[in-house]
Amino acid sequence: MTDTAETIFKRLRDLPSTHLLGTGTPMCAGCGGLQALHQIYDIIGEKSVFINAAGCMTLLSVFPFTPFRGSWLYTAMASAPAGAQGVRDALDILLQQQRIAAEEDMEVVVLTGDGAAYGMGLSSTSGAMERDLDFLYICYDNEGYGNTGQQYSGATPHAALTSTSKGPRGFSGFKKDLFSIWAAHEPAYVATVIGTEPLDLARKIDKARNMTGPRMIIALAPCPTGWDYDPKQSVDIGKLAVRTGIWPLKEYENGKVVHTKIPKQRKPVEEYLQCQGRFRHLFEPQRNDELIDALQAKVDSYWRDITE
Amino acid sequence: MYRIRFHGRGGQGMKTASRILGTAFFLEGYEVQDAPRYGAERRGAPIFAYVRADHAAINERGIIQHPDLVIVADDSLVPVAGAGVVTGIDAHTVLLINSDEPPELWKQRLNFAGQVFTLPVETEDRAELRFIGATCSGAAARLLGVITRASLSQAITEELQALGDAVVDKNLAKALTAYDLMEAHRGCVGTSSKVSATDYQNPAWVNLPFDDARIAAPAIHAAATSVQVNTGLWRTLRPVIDYELCNKCWWICSSFCPDGAIDVDDKGVPHIDYDHCKGCMVCVAQCPPHAIASVPEQEAQAQDAAGEVT
Ligand SMILES: Cc1ncc(C[n+]2csc(CCOP(=O)(O)OP(=O)(O)O)c2C)c(N)n1
Ligand code: SF4
Ligand SMILES: [Mg+2]
Repeated sequence: MTDTAETIFKRLRDLPSTHLLGTGTPMCAGCGGLQALHQIYDIIGEKSVFINAAGCMTLLSVFPFTPFRGSWLYTAMASAPAGAQGVRDALDILLQQQRIAAEEDMEVVVLTGDGAAYGMGLSSTSGAMERDLDFLYICYDNEGYGNTGQQYSGATPHAALTSTSKGPRGFSGFKKDLFSIWAAHEPAYVATVIGTEPLDLARKIDKARNMTGPRMIIALAPCPTGWDYDPKQSVDIGKLAVRTGIWPLKEYENGKVVHTKIPKQRKPVEEYLQCQGRFRHLFEPQRNDELIDALQAKVDSYWRDITE
Repeated sequence: MYRIRFHGRGGQGMKTASRILGTAFFLEGYEVQDAPRYGAERRGAPIFAYVRADHAAINERGIIQHPDLVIVADDSLVPVAGAGVVTGIDAHTVLLINSDEPPELWKQRLNFAGQVFTLPVETEDRAELRFIGATCSGAAARLLGVITRASLSQAITEELQALGDAVVDKNLAKALTAYDLMEAHRGCVGTSSKVSATDYQNPAWVNLPFDDARIAAPAIHAAATSVQVNTGLWRTLRPVIDYELCNKCWWICSSFCPDGAIDVDDKGVPHIDYDHCKGCMVCVAQCPPHAIASVPEQEAQAQDAAGEVT
């Protein structure tokens, strides 16, 4: 077990200053998912195999281009964790037969969007945790099916406009609590991160890297295209997600959930909503106080009893 | 038949522009085909849209090779080979470019015999960029000469209704201003004749032999080959660091740059990789001492060129 005292990431100055992930990828300018991924990749390192389900990040590796320094495998949208099982098994057999040395072993990393993680891929993820698969799962959560034009997914927040939830009240469903769903399987580790809190992210990835078993990460990924804002605001919006309490930073380990950052004076969620086109209908043409208050109340009730 | 090709960057509203123009044609009683096309790349990368309109049924499909009218939302796309702005144009083609540079200069630069019209770039403010689509469709409607103000207005209202009255009004104002601006050139775009399947010429195919999977499977053996892709071409604004102001904080621009295109050297000095910076401007927004300025890419390139001369 590691805690923050043991991590090599103690101060912001400990963050990597040069980057491993190749530039020149087709992700949108200002993509919050790519921001988190490049930070994560700096820590996981090049001795890794990425197993990727369909989504924006599939386009990272389009022949003959890839930003990765290790291998990459593409699976159907629902089955990246099953793909990871195959890769892990293959590596284990190679190790067992001494066809590769222990230091040649690789970290098996699943990379999917929220559409796969919260929906289509949930069953195969559950199975992988049940089998105690030794892997790292990274879900970049842009709260919709980004690659196909931002249809709503199981991760879309209440009231958000997507291409399949239009109209004055936006999405009628509620964002699933994937953190709790995953934690209920009692895997080795579950954490939420965001690229706009790079030190918190680095500590968690470093911790996960040094564990075995299923290690599950959800990165909120501000998405200029799907959320409708100018790309330069990406970091401001991510920071607001944390400061308003919309995106709690936390980790699960040994049956216990700990918040790694409890916003002291939470800003009103309105500040977060107002700067995104997908929530514009809450403010224009008339302000919808009822919906804004309901969204605030949900966040308040989440934090009411949180002390650690 | 009219064949119209739109060029823009993802996020500049060219898909909407083509829909507006297509709907306006339809309201004028035309048969219409309207299709956007984009590849794996997203916001900032070149995208295309095509409109065909005719009084008879349209049997032609696919990309438009020989356009009657080419509309360019962003003049920085013209020199980008992958954007294919000048593909298949000839003296019959009319070019409409959103550019502050005069039409004569474009004609000379492109050695182009057809007509060129420009729409003034209104502002450096990216928030206004969302209206380029409406502006382009308004100007195009007038150049075509067969679309009335009323049909154009109705098309915009229909296409943008879901976004609310304020958005519709703003787009209407932009489109109608552009429509009026092109009054003197109404009807300058002509039609061209139908292509027949018998005229079709096969592209020059390259025949690849059928190899064993170990040879033919698309495997990549080198690391990080994506650096071969020059995403710096997506940029319309360039972040420029003033090293006098930079306080060498070490991590902010370098960690926040989504693309990892900013590295910090041993002395704590950040360097931006302009071959790959997509111009999202996150670094400009986050730098605490405001040491990073946002310079229009064309201005920056002009400065580079001047620097090389001296
Ligand atoms: C089984 C299946 N259904 C639909 C698709 C089409 N598809 C490709 S990417 C995508 C969106 C995935 O959304 P998400 O996992 O959130 O990733 P994002 O695109 O947002 O990065 C969809 C629906 C697919 N590839 N496979
Ligand atoms: S659509 Fe969103 S998540 Fe996908 S590449 Fe663009 S910014 Fe990133
Ligand atoms: Mg998604």
